[in-house]
Amino acid sequence: MYLPSGVYHEHYAQDQAWWRTTFIRAKMVVLFLFLLVIFPLGANLYLVSVANIIGYTILSAMGVQLLIGYCGQITLGHAAFIAVGAYVSAIAMLQYQLPYPVGLVLGAIAAGLWSVLFGLPSARVKGFYLIMTTMAAQFITVDFFITQYVSQVGGRGTFFSLPPGTIRIGPWTIDSELKVYYVMIVLVILCTTGMANLLRTRVGRAWIAIRDNDIAAEAMGVNIFKYKLLAYFVAGVLGGIAGAFWISSILAVSPEHFQFSWSLWIVGVILIGGAGSLHGTIFGAMFITLILEGLKFAIIPLSDSFPALQERFLYVKEAAFGLAIVLFLLYEPKGLAYRWQQIKNYFNLWPFSY
Amino acid sequence: MSQPALDEIHLKVDDLRISFGGVQALAGVSLDVRRGEIFSLIGPNGAGKTVLLNCINGLYPPKAGRILFEGRDMTSLRPHQRAALGIARTFQKIELFSGMTVLDNIRLGRHLHMRAGILSGACYVGKAAREELVHREFIEREIIDLLEIAHIRDKIVGMLPYGLQKRVELARALALQPRILLLDEPMAGLNLEEVEDMARFILDLNEGERWRATCVLVEHDMGVVMDISNRVAVLNFGEKIAEGPPAEVQANPEVVRAYLGEVEDLYVSRR
Repeated sequence: MYLPSGVYHEHYAQDQAWWRTTFIRAKMVVLFLFLLVIFPLGANLYLVSVANIIGYTILSAMGVQLLIGYCGQITLGHAAFIAVGAYVSAIAMLQYQLPYPVGLVLGAIAAGLWSVLFGLPSARVKGFYLIMTTMAAQFITVDFFITQYVSQVGGRGTFFSLPPGTIRIGPWTIDSELKVYYVMIVLVILCTTGMANLLRTRVGRAWIAIRDNDIAAEAMGVNIFKYKLLAYFVAGVLGGIAGAFWISSILAVSPEHFQFSWSLWIVGVILIGGAGSLHGTIFGAMFITLILEGLKFAIIPLSDSFPALQERFLYVKEAAFGLAIVLFLLYEPKGLAYRWQQIKNYFNLWPFSY
Repeated sequence: MSQPALDEIHLKVDDLRISFGGVQALAGVSLDVRRGEIFSLIGPNGAGKTVLLNCINGLYPPKAGRILFEGRDMTSLRPHQRAALGIARTFQKIELFSGMTVLDNIRLGRHLHMRAGILSGACYVGKAAREELVHREFIEREIIDLLEIAHIRDKIVGMLPYGLQKRVELARALALQPRILLLDEPMAGLNLEEVEDMARFILDLNEGERWRATCVLVEHDMGVVMDISNRVAVLNFGEKIAEGPPAEVQANPEVVRAYLGEVEDLYVSRR
C-alpha cells in the first residue's frame, strides 16, 4: 500500500483510516466541494440531467457490484429489484399518501426482501444455474407480477404518473433537475459510504471470503448461506433505493423502465468499471453514460447526411455498448478502476518508478 | 518434545466410515486425541489421512460413526458450527482468500469473535469501529508477532511465496483461537529453514500460555512428526494399523510393512 515517506502512524485507527495523509484529505474536500457546490451551481440544466442519469446508474449498479464483484454470486435480474423499489415507493405515495422518504425506505426494504427470495437458490446452485434463477427473478417480477397485477393498482393503467408536488421531503418539493441532483448526490454518497464501511468490517469480509474461497470461509466459521442471503438483501436494498430515487427524476413508473436490457446494462457497467471495486461502479457508470451522450453529439451532425442514423439511435446505442464491453474484456479486463490505480501509482512514484 | 499430555480426551473419533464410489476411504477408524497433545496422523499416500481431517472438520459427512468434541457429539454439525466450537484447520493445498490482504485474511479468522452486523457495519461508528481496532490490536500482538509476518501484513495474499502463504494460513487458523487445530501437511513444499520455523510455531501454539491448542497433524516429514508429536497414529487403506508414542510406532512391524512392503515381497522381486 502506498504511503509517502515521512508519514508515521501511532495508532491502528490512523493506519486503518481511509484518508491517511493531509494531501488526500485536501483532495477529498475539493471533490466534495465540487460535487455539492461548484458543479450544481455552475453546470447547465443538461449537464445536471446527465449527472442524474450517472447517479441512477451508480445506484443501480452498486447492488450488482456487491453481488458479482464482492460476493461472487451472479445476478442478471437486478432491474426487478429496482422495479420493486420504484413501485413500492410510488404506491406508498399515491395510494397511502406517505411522504417520499418513508416511501423510499419502504421501497428499499421491500426490494431487499424480494431479492432474498430469489437469492435462496444460491444456497444450492452456482454459476450458470444461478444465472438462470436470477433471470427468472426478472421475468417473474417485472413481466408477470408488475405488468399483470401491481401496475393495475388504483386503476391508473400500466403507467403510473406522479402528479407534480407528490415528491417532497418535508417542506421541500423536488420539482427541478437541480433538486433531483441533490437527492441523487446525497443518496450516492450515503450508499457508497455504507458499502465501503461494510466492506471493511465483519460482514463485508465474509462476503469477500465467500467469493474467494467458500470452503475455507465455511471452515473459518462463516455461515455461508446466511451471508449469501445478506448479500442479496443488501443488494436488493440498494436496487430499491435506485428505483425509488428514479421516480423522483422522471415522475412516472412503468414496467418498460425495468426491462431485462437494463439488468444486462448494469452488469456491463461493473465489467467496464471493474468488478470488485467501488470506484469501478462509479467509473463504469460515468463511462457508459458519457459515451452515450457523446454518441448523441456525434450523430446529430451526421444525421443530415444519414437520416437513418437518427431514427435508429436506439440500435446504435446498444451496439456501442456491446462493443465497449467486448473491447474492455479483451484489452482492460480489470476495468477502469484498475487503470485508475495504475495512473495513480505512476504519479505517486514518479520520477523513480522502480 | 512437549510435556506429557493430560489424559482427558479432547476429540474422539468413533468407528468412522466413508467411501467414495467403490473406494472405502475410511473403514472404521477410531481415535482418541487427548487435551493438549500433538497428535500426528501418518500413512502412505491415499491412506485416508486428509479424509479423516475433512470429516473432523465437517467438510465430508461420514457414512457411519461419530465424532465427539469434549464429549459432545458433533457429527451432524456444519463446518461453521464446528468452527464456533473451536475447531480450526489449515489445508493441504493452500486455501487462502487470494484477493484479500494478509491482514484481512487473519481478520476473517476473527469472524466468530466479532459482532458487527449490517447496520452497525455500514455506519462504522461506536461499537463496530471500536471492535475493529480491538481485534486489530489482538491480531498484531498475538498472531503477527508470533508468526513473524509483520513485513507482509498489507500484501495481497495471492502474490506471496508459498512458504509465507502456509504461514498466513496458520495465522488465519490461529485467529479463531482454536481449541483444536487441524494441520494438514503444514510442512509440505517448504524448505528446511521454513520447516524448522513451522515446527517451532506449532510447538509455540501447543505449549504457549495464550493458545494451548490441541494439534492434530497430518504430515509426511517423518523427522518432524517423530520430533514434535506426543502420539502418532498410522493409517493404511482407511484403517488404523498402529497408535502410540513415536518410538513405539516406528518399531512396529505393521508400520514398516505399510511403508516398505513385505520382506518376503522384496525377496520375491529379487528372484
